[in-house]
Amino acid sequence: MLELKPMLSALWRNKTSAFLIALQLALTLAIVSNAGVIVSERVEKIARPTGMQVEDLISVTFMPIAQEYDMAGAVAADMDLLRGLPGVVDAFPTNQIPVSGSGSASRYFSEPNQEIGGEVANYYQVDPNFINTLGLELVAGRNFTAAEMDVMGPNENYDARVAIITRDFGEALFPGEEPLGKFFFPLGENNPIEIVGVIDRHLGAWVGWQKAGQVVFYPLLIKTNHKRYMIRAEPGQRDAVMKLVEEKLAQRDANRVLQLETLSRDLEQSYMSDNVMVKVLSAVIALLTFIVSLGIVGLTIFWINQRRKQIGIRRALGATRANISRYFLLENGLIAALGIAMGFAIAMLINRMMVTSFSQPAMPAGLLLSCAALLLLASLGAALVPALRAANISPATATRSV
Amino acid sequence: MLKMHNIRKVYRTDTIETHALRDFSLEVEEGEFVSVTGPSGSGKTTFLNIAGLLETATDGQYLLDGVDISKLGDSDRSRQRNEKIGFIFQGFNLIPDLNLFDNIDVPLRYRGFNSKERRRRIEHVLQLVGLSARAKYLPAQLSGGQQQRIAIARALAGEPRFLLADEPTGNLDSEMAAQVMELLESINSAGTTIIMVTHDPELAARARRNIQIVDGRVSDSKAAPVAPVAEPA
Repeated sequence: MLELKPMLSALWRNKTSAFLIALQLALTLAIVSNAGVIVSERVEKIARPTGMQVEDLISVTFMPIAQEYDMAGAVAADMDLLRGLPGVVDAFPTNQIPVSGSGSASRYFSEPNQEIGGEVANYYQVDPNFINTLGLELVAGRNFTAAEMDVMGPNENYDARVAIITRDFGEALFPGEEPLGKFFFPLGENNPIEIVGVIDRHLGAWVGWQKAGQVVFYPLLIKTNHKRYMIRAEPGQRDAVMKLVEEKLAQRDANRVLQLETLSRDLEQSYMSDNVMVKVLSAVIALLTFIVSLGIVGLTIFWINQRRKQIGIRRALGATRANISRYFLLENGLIAALGIAMGFAIAMLINRMMVTSFSQPAMPAGLLLSCAALLLLASLGAALVPALRAANISPATATRSV
Repeated sequence: MLKMHNIRKVYRTDTIETHALRDFSLEVEEGEFVSVTGPSGSGKTTFLNIAGLLETATDGQYLLDGVDISKLGDSDRSRQRNEKIGFIFQGFNLIPDLNLFDNIDVPLRYRGFNSKERRRRIEHVLQLVGLSARAKYLPAQLSGGQQQRIAIARALAGEPRFLLADEPTGNLDSEMAAQVMELLESINSAGTTIIMVTHDPELAARARRNIQIVDGRVSDSKAAPVAPVAEPA
């Protein structure tokens, strides 16, 4: 027994209040869904695979105290020590810690002697143990050999001959082609670098960078006066290994400053602003939904109090309690439907602005629908208690002269 | 058709117990037109509320059409109200947001009639009260007498076994009150039982039987006076 037509005409006579609550719902839907776009984009960003075995990795940064220091000898001795420690899977020396927010990038070209255009990539100096240590997946070609390793001073000129790159960088430099075996060139230079291997994925230095994932690795050790090691522990043993590493490295050479960190912590730091954004916007979504629910509770209670007599009359004329509750829930549902319809339009409009002005992703239909469902549920939930209370209004109210 | 035996109604608040009806017994036969009079606070409205299933008695037995009302749940009482009883209130009690057609439609929808049947009944009762041309008007656009006629139409549309009228002419001038009384009399002569609560001794005298309630009890019940008799208000 639908009462839609008389209900609509009764609503029409109270159109200002009804419209205001619908508008409140519409704006909430528009804001919540667009905040949802940002939240889901950030959540996806944080959830991106790094290509590495992040939870098992430890980084070590050290600076020798002495001005004159045999860096190559120290690295060789440290590697021997580290790779022999219990609980250590592998280790390698490098210039920068991945996904830490600190790194280097350069511009590369598919033709020699170019200075305009090209593609940028993070670059890392590594040794042949880097694939195993980081847990990378070599999808084409081969690893570096020991013979390809170069060791050089900080001010020497390095002409790379071979490199391993990520698949992302290969696709950027040679779109649609297989990069293995091809040559590429540094900015303004004509020495060709051969791609001997392709890594499935490595997120590089900066997680927020548009080109994150474009990475080049060289078989090189530069004897700068501070060095970094990446160490991979057996699963579940990272913290114990970290303690052991610190102790053993200090024991081997006490004349240096050591700083150890887990890669998980570095990654967490890199995503901190994204995490804050997700939390703040989620709180805004929750708060807005709560406030709009309060509005609906208030309006429904107000309307019910205003219509106590009318409810009494309806009860006297034969309405059951369920009829009365259903009436208010249906009325609320109609307002919510109007609000959600308006909200769809406003949400899409705001999203279009966000896409063109702030290069945000387009609104996925599923997200908009879930936000609408959430608000519809919140609005029905908000109307439920007052609607049930309305059913308790006595039919005898009809005979009281108020 | 209506049989009350030793009905008691007590209103309780935290501090006070009020006995609105006590040892109240009454029988009304099918087709009767009964007026109920009594001073303010005597229990007339309580009697009407219990008779109309708007409230339940604290004690006692109430049989309506042979059905023991005290044994019914809230939903069943709603159904009995909807099917067997038509209400006419002093304040008309039309729903201000609905036009006259939709006002008469309210109890018919609760009854579950289909739209064709509802339309037939609404058109019939509108004609009966002479307001067919105003079906789309809102209550506020009518005079008091017209509103009460719509309220009567609403009460009749479900073809109830009996009408309960609470001061049906209380808010009307004498001319309109006379029209409404004539309408009620013609409804009664067509077979509908009517119980009418009123302050007005003249109107009470037009009923075939008058019951006086004093202090929550039936103090006097007399059949069809031949001429209007002035009673203490």
